Amino acid sequence: MFAAGIDIGSTASKAVILDGDGQVKAKATVPIGTGTAGPERVFGQVMELAGIARDDVAWITATGYGRFSFEGINDQKSELSCHAKGISHLLPGTRTIIDIGGQDIKVMRIGDKGQLLNFVMNDKCAAGTGRFLDTMAKVLDVEVSALSGLSFQADEPAEISSTCTVFAESEVISKLAAKIRLENIAAGIHKSVARRVASLVQRVGIQPDVAMSGGVALNSGLVRSLEEEVRCHIRVHEDCQLAGALGAALFALHSMRNCESYTG
Amino acid sequence: MGETPEVKKAKRPLPKSRVMLNALVDSIYQAAWDAEAKGEPVGWSTSIFPQELCATFDIPVLYPENNAAGVAARHDSPRFIATSEGELGYSNDICSYARLSIGMAHQMACDPNYEPPAVQRMPRPTFLLCATNSCFELLKWYECLSRELDIPIFMQDCLFNYGDAKPAKHWVAYGRSQIEHNIKRMEEFFGKKFDWDKFLEIQKISVENARLFDECVMMNDRNPSPLNGFDLFNYMAPMVVARGRRETTEVLLQLKREIQEHIDNGTTTFGSAPQKFRVDWEGIACWPNLGYNLKSMKKYGVNCVTNGYVGAWSLHYTPGSLDEMAEQYMLSSTNVVNTATMMGKRADVANHFQCDGMFCHINRSCKFMTYHMTCGREIVEEKCGIPVVFFDGDQADPTIFNEAQFETRLQSLVDVMETNKEAKQ
Repeated sequence: MFAAGIDIGSTASKAVILDGDGQVKAKATVPIGTGTAGPERVFGQVMELAGIARDDVAWITATGYGRFSFEGINDQKSELSCHAKGISHLLPGTRTIIDIGGQDIKVMRIGDKGQLLNFVMNDKCAAGTGRFLDTMAKVLDVEVSALSGLSFQADEPAEISSTCTVFAESEVISKLAAKIRLENIAAGIHKSVARRVASLVQRVGIQPDVAMSGGVALNSGLVRSLEEEVRCHIRVHEDCQLAGALGAALFALHSMRNCESYTG
Repeated sequence: MGETPEVKKAKRPLPKSRVMLNALVDSIYQAAWDAEAKGEPVGWSTSIFPQELCATFDIPVLYPENNAAGVAARHDSPRFIATSEGELGYSNDICSYARLSIGMAHQMACDPNYEPPAVQRMPRPTFLLCATNSCFELLKWYECLSRELDIPIFMQDCLFNYGDAKPAKHWVAYGRSQIEHNIKRMEEFFGKKFDWDKFLEIQKISVENARLFDECVMMNDRNPSPLNGFDLFNYMAPMVVARGRRETTEVLLQLKREIQEHIDNGTTTFGSAPQKFRVDWEGIACWPNLGYNLKSMKKYGVNCVTNGYVGAWSLHYTPGSLDEMAEQYMLSSTNVVNTATMMGKRADVANHFQCDGMFCHINRSCKFMTYHMTCGREIVEEKCGIPVVFFDGDQADPTIFNEAQFETRLQSLVDVMETNKEAKQ
């Protein structure tokens, strides 16, 4: 039998299937999140990749903002605990995790088994979140994935002083009007996000190893800015975007084994 | 085919103490309307003004903060807040109780079609009572009300306690002189002599009620707690609006009996769900979302067993001593003491109540209380070794709160508390 984890975020849906030995059988990501067809689609995809049917999945754990709305799950877990579990599995030795999600920022302190020990999250403000980056990329008329490459070409990063997403948007527009290079604006955007995230990191306190989780971690330009702000190396795994789903799958595997030993 | 009719769950009858409490509050509002009908004075007061004065004069007083909480809990605050922000141009950065109350006062004074809230309707006041002990914004709020309604204010200026020591003698003298001055001014304004013997009796009742309220709060230190912590948000009402009245004593005595019954029977108003985690809820209630907050917390077996805010009306002094009374009014609220003092006290309480965590309402309307929490979080973490988690909300403005954000933070707090429990075992 198999265990599955599904992470239904605000902007993307991710899923991971583990076999009974805890090996990743399949993983998938769909770039649309809660309230869309994304969750069903990603779950269909991951089962197809694993070559299994839904009946072969003994336990499904959901996480993310859409964790309550996916039908057929066995349980749900907070995304903080799932990211903690997932990153600890991918990058053993991690003690501090930074996760920039679509609508929030989380900084977590974790134990050696990936257990959540402490955390802080952003307040009611989109500054520094994935949505902030989406908005800025739209203003620059580039894909959000292009921001990283652009920022590495910067020679004089622009100063984006506003933390408010709406104000920063108008600030970026005025920089464009002033003919400031896109590369420098992209680097300025990363610096703005990094400053915001760094202040949250300081509230929890940096304990190495530090790792980043979530899809935004794939933006290496932002990771570099963040490393400069927190003055510490930040580890990133190629499957960082799947960390939440993997964590959920690991919780599912644990529940599945408990259930099997109970019934056995 | 018609749809299956919704089966409504029968509401549990209110405990006798709540019935008595509601009757008391209703009678206070009725007394204000009766006075208004006779053309007699009616006051509006900040929540921690020395109410012993008007109680001695037998002049009815209502409390906009308490009223705003009720209006917000019934989801009726947006229309008053809209008047403040729109028609009157007040910033949405200021306290939502202030925005609600100023909007209500303006509608009352200027709108011939003014529609009052469905319950706890406040008559238009003829004077104001303002003590600056619970918030820095109160002075401006009451100045605005005074201008809006063209009525006088009786002031009790309270000083901020920067140090850890008790207020200095000259501070106490300053507080006492204001009480004496207010009595003289009130004698002129009400056209009545102040009855010092009656004043002494009311002081005695107030102090007795403070003692009883504290006892009820402390009885919740049992495990399982006999009360769902949010109950205290309701039972603090008589301490706010009628702490000098015998009826409040009766309510609190009844409450104490009911709590003792719960302890004896091993029952609790939290319900049948196990109380897996005990938390200290810090900050004012998130009134528009109180039901959701409670439901979510119950879902995870989290009971808020204590709250620092509800104790702000427990004033302990020797009846007859104006100095002690003045000193108490200068110390009563956690917003007139420094962060180390406030959060140190909260840490001591969290330890006493064996809390597994602290859940803090980051409330844009109560900036100073919020400041204490954000700056003093480490004090609690170090003294108690428990997680301190924040969520955004507001005491009366429903536009700030987000259910999904609340639950994510709550669930993650539960995960950390669970990890800590496992580590202890």
